[in-house]
Amino acid sequence: MDLDEVEILLVEDNETDAELTIRALKRKNLTNKLVWVKDGAEALEFLFATGTYSDRNREGLPRLILLDLRMPKVDGLEVLQRIKADDKTKKIPVVVLTSSKEDKDIVESYKLGVNSYVSKPVEFDEFTQAISTLGLYWMLLNKPPE
Amino acid sequence: MVEYNNRIENYRMGALLGIISLFLIFIYYLQSNSLPYNPFLGFVAPIFLTSVWLKRRTWFAPVLLVVILVFIQLLANRFGIRFYEDYFLLVMFIFAVVIVAFLSERIEKVRSLNRLNDELEKERKKLEDANKELEAFAYSVSHDLRVPLRAIDGLSRILVEDYQDDLDDEGKRLIDIIRENTKKMGQLIDDILHLSRAGRQEMNITQIDMESLFKNTFDEIKHSHEGRNIEIEIKPLPEAYGDRTLLQQVISNLISNSIKFTTPRDPAIIEVGAKKGDKENIYYVKDNGVGFDMKYSNKLFGLFQRLHGQNEFEGTGVGLSIVQRIIRRHGGDVWGEGKVDQGATIYFSLPYKKGK
Repeated sequence: MDLDEVEILLVEDNETDAELTIRALKRKNLTNKLVWVKDGAEALEFLFATGTYSDRNREGLPRLILLDLRMPKVDGLEVLQRIKADDKTKKIPVVVLTSSKEDKDIVESYKLGVNSYVSKPVEFDEFTQAISTLGLYWMLLNKPPE
Repeated sequence: MVEYNNRIENYRMGALLGIISLFLIFIYYLQSNSLPYNPFLGFVAPIFLTSVWLKRRTWFAPVLLVVILVFIQLLANRFGIRFYEDYFLLVMFIFAVVIVAFLSERIEKVRSLNRLNDELEKERKKLEDANKELEAFAYSVSHDLRVPLRAIDGLSRILVEDYQDDLDDEGKRLIDIIRENTKKMGQLIDDILHLSRAGRQEMNITQIDMESLFKNTFDEIKHSHEGRNIEIEIKPLPEAYGDRTLLQQVISNLISNSIKFTTPRDPAIIEVGAKKGDKENIYYVKDNGVGFDMKYSNKLFGLFQRLHGQNEFEGTGVGLSIVQRIIRRHGGDVWGEGKVDQGATIYFSLPYKKGK
């Protein structure tokens, strides 16, 4: 896949969760241009085209970021803060997708400018439903700034 | 704490005023070898003011006596009768000593109270810290437990979807059992989280219309029990003071319980009522469900304690623990009455608005 034309960036350290998320998005044909990175540090490298991703064109930004909160190295809140602090990346819709239902996490995410906060349901049907709904909404219905 | 420190300050000031007054009277006595012309100004007034300031009625007795004595003396002077001034001074002096002694005793009492309070405060801090730690632990455990649970549920589901043709009925049944159990565990984790939240969440106390809160909560819950014949009667309820979200949780748990334990009844009848007490209002939720044996009433509110088998009624045994925790945080109490097969009543009390 061309890393410069990514549509969805999935930031998720848990492999099974990532697999389930991708499976749910696949049902709606949303995974053709999806990149999965395994922690916050890699997500930042990807977005700002540094480190392993230094060959990438910095202008090619995803249309949607699905972000887990609890991750090793750089956690989700820090990634969110970096994304929203940078002029180029702050327009990308960021959906926090996490197991946490903690008020503190929700409040902090919105303070940092998250576009949506979704708590991952444990039950598979609900999970699939939630992911595909939000995928369709942000990729097809939502109108981003040009 | 601040209140006690203020009191000490007040008592000190009172004692100081008393001593200054005595001193002034003494000086006056030395100079003129007689009682101050108007002892009210020099002695009674400051003590009287202090007593008003302290808002302690016990003070009025000696002060009133002094005032009466002064009045009698003035009156006597008017009619030409003279008291022995030395005698009068002695009485005043005794009163002053009594008052100063009373004050110092108070100061000592408050001081020791203060010390005790300090120690209590320290212990409370320790407890609070331990509690916070425990709750953070419960939170992170339940959070981390959710992740593998989703994997189990998701993958067993994928197994059914992708390998349908390779699985026989027994295989599918076993997978169904796996999924059923992950669902239960998920519920359990959610309940533990609720419980931990019920203890941690900051309370925002407002005036609450309990009647409409009961009604709205019931309407909300009723939706997920379509097809059942449930009658609810909500009697006039006094308003309560409390945290709306937390009290709604209480009501929701109680009504859900009633609906659950009236499953075999047609119609299920739930009655909500209240009576006003001296210091608190007592609300109750009564149903015609399967009830319980009063022998086990002490287990009603225990965490994970259930009085019915999992195959009779679903549940994790956390609901009433949450109710108890929330009500106790409001300064109230909760208890239950019931008889096997004759319904149950859960009572909870909420104190009237605290403070001013």
